[in-house]
Amino acid sequence: MSLIEIDDLSVTFTAQGREVRAVQGVSLRVDVRESFGLVGESGSGKSTILRAICGLAPVSGGSIRIGGEVLRHDRAFARRVQMVFQDPYASLHPRHTLDRTLSEPLAIHGIGGADQRVMRALEDVGLPSSFRFRYPHQLSGGQRQRVAIARALMLEPEILLLDEPTSALDASVQAEVLNLLARLRAERGLTFLMVSHDLAVIDHMCDRVLVMQHGRAVEELTRAELAGARMQTDYARSLFEASADRLMG
Amino acid sequence: MTTLTQWLRDPNPTSRRQAKLGQLWLGWLRLKRNPLAMAGLVIIGLLLVIAAFAPVLATHDPIAQNLQNRLQPPLTPGHWLGTDDFGRDIWSRIVYGSRITLYIIALVAVTAPLIGLMVGTVAGYFGGWVDAVLMRLTDIFLAFPRLILALALVAVLGPGIENAVLAIALTAWPPYARVARAETLTVRNSDYIAAVRLQGAGAGRIIWGHIVPMCLPSVIIRVTLDMAGVILIAAGLGFLGLGAQPPLSEWGLMISAGRKYLFEQWWVATMPGLAIFIVSLGFNLLGDGLRDVLDPRSAAK
Repeated sequence: MSLIEIDDLSVTFTAQGREVRAVQGVSLRVDVRESFGLVGESGSGKSTILRAICGLAPVSGGSIRIGGEVLRHDRAFARRVQMVFQDPYASLHPRHTLDRTLSEPLAIHGIGGADQRVMRALEDVGLPSSFRFRYPHQLSGGQRQRVAIARALMLEPEILLLDEPTSALDASVQAEVLNLLARLRAERGLTFLMVSHDLAVIDHMCDRVLVMQHGRAVEELTRAELAGARMQTDYARSLFEASADRLMG
Repeated sequence: MTTLTQWLRDPNPTSRRQAKLGQLWLGWLRLKRNPLAMAGLVIIGLLLVIAAFAPVLATHDPIAQNLQNRLQPPLTPGHWLGTDDFGRDIWSRIVYGSRITLYIIALVAVTAPLIGLMVGTVAGYFGGWVDAVLMRLTDIFLAFPRLILALALVAVLGPGIENAVLAIALTAWPPYARVARAETLTVRNSDYIAAVRLQGAGAGRIIWGHIVPMCLPSVIIRVTLDMAGVILIAAGLGFLGLGAQPPLSEWGLMISAGRKYLFEQWWVATMPGLAIFIVSLGFNLLGDGLRDVLDPRSAAK
């Protein structure tokens, strides 16, 4: 049985009487400890799938199941599934110190030993413990994203949803953050569902990938198929060719 | 001194308190660059000092009458601001009156923004019918001129300082609710709110711990800018005999008493009027300066 099962998912936004069908009939399966990628251009609905899992987007059809159970957004869900957002400049509260940001989930769930846990979380993501009482504006983009990752891991979830976790960062910092994520996944046996518009990032991180376009699933590829350029559809091929030079490196 | 500033400017604070004080220190440095705001701060500081040391600074008993000495002009020996129609020393009355003014300001500044913040953030966060009900209620309060509504409330509750404060607080909260709701709408869909909701936080925790801190700067600015208005309304209620009652030396009440002599003995009404003017100016200047310090949008330059 797969850990994440999404069947025929549709998401429809209505704004001022106009309907936007962001996701139409997408199905996917993610196994335990697998790293699954969603790739596509802007507006292809890949981020919306993550938001739908978190209850941040209106599901209009289909079903999402985590570990065989129908999705319920309660505290138990928070301890199983956490998310890292795209923009580290927008995902940390500007008036909270890192200490506050990281200990908040512990306070919500009544978990003790906040001091040691915050220190260990900073250490795990490679930040010095002297940063503990800094504010987000005193950090660089890469450091902020490390904090966001540390926050997502505070509740020790088994599933981490990653919404373009590196697209707002410089190339050199991107690699560091991706390596950090890969290391944490190996250490903690996490399951990743990762969104990116960059096939090179997906290739580096994911076992399987679903190519999306205009809210629909186009093609699912394994890493071997991706590396061997054995895709069936023209759209997946054009996407592959756009980033082929970096894939080989 | 240098060790203290070093401790405050430490980029790696070692405790929550140090981090918070460090931020306050940076705000203070920004405020210090603004001479007008500093002038406002000095005026309010003076008001606090005068109120605290009123018995020392006052030359006479503020309610002791001396009818042989009534309506003395300013610079009379012993009464440098003159005396009023009962022969009471105006300077002493203004000094003691500062306590009443501060008392009213403090009570209003604590209650009205709190009500406004709660109504505004709850309306903005939940949206839908909660928003509709709360904001229409706010509109109803806003539809009446503030002084008229305060007058009506005091007329119902009965004259007195406490009732005046209550009336002012009840008429002052709607603008804060508006400001807080507008700020809430800009932050409620941000990623950091989504993140904490994803961690299982309840509405109370999100509103109080995450949304209110974002609304506070604009509300604080509003409060300092509104303080002048609060002083004027308190004085107005006193003037109409609905606020502080004689023989208390409330400034508005003093102006009201001096009205009868305005053309011949101008100082009786003018001196407390000047006091109101200076204190209102002080709050306005400080409010303008605080806007530059607290508002992240204007601090960007």
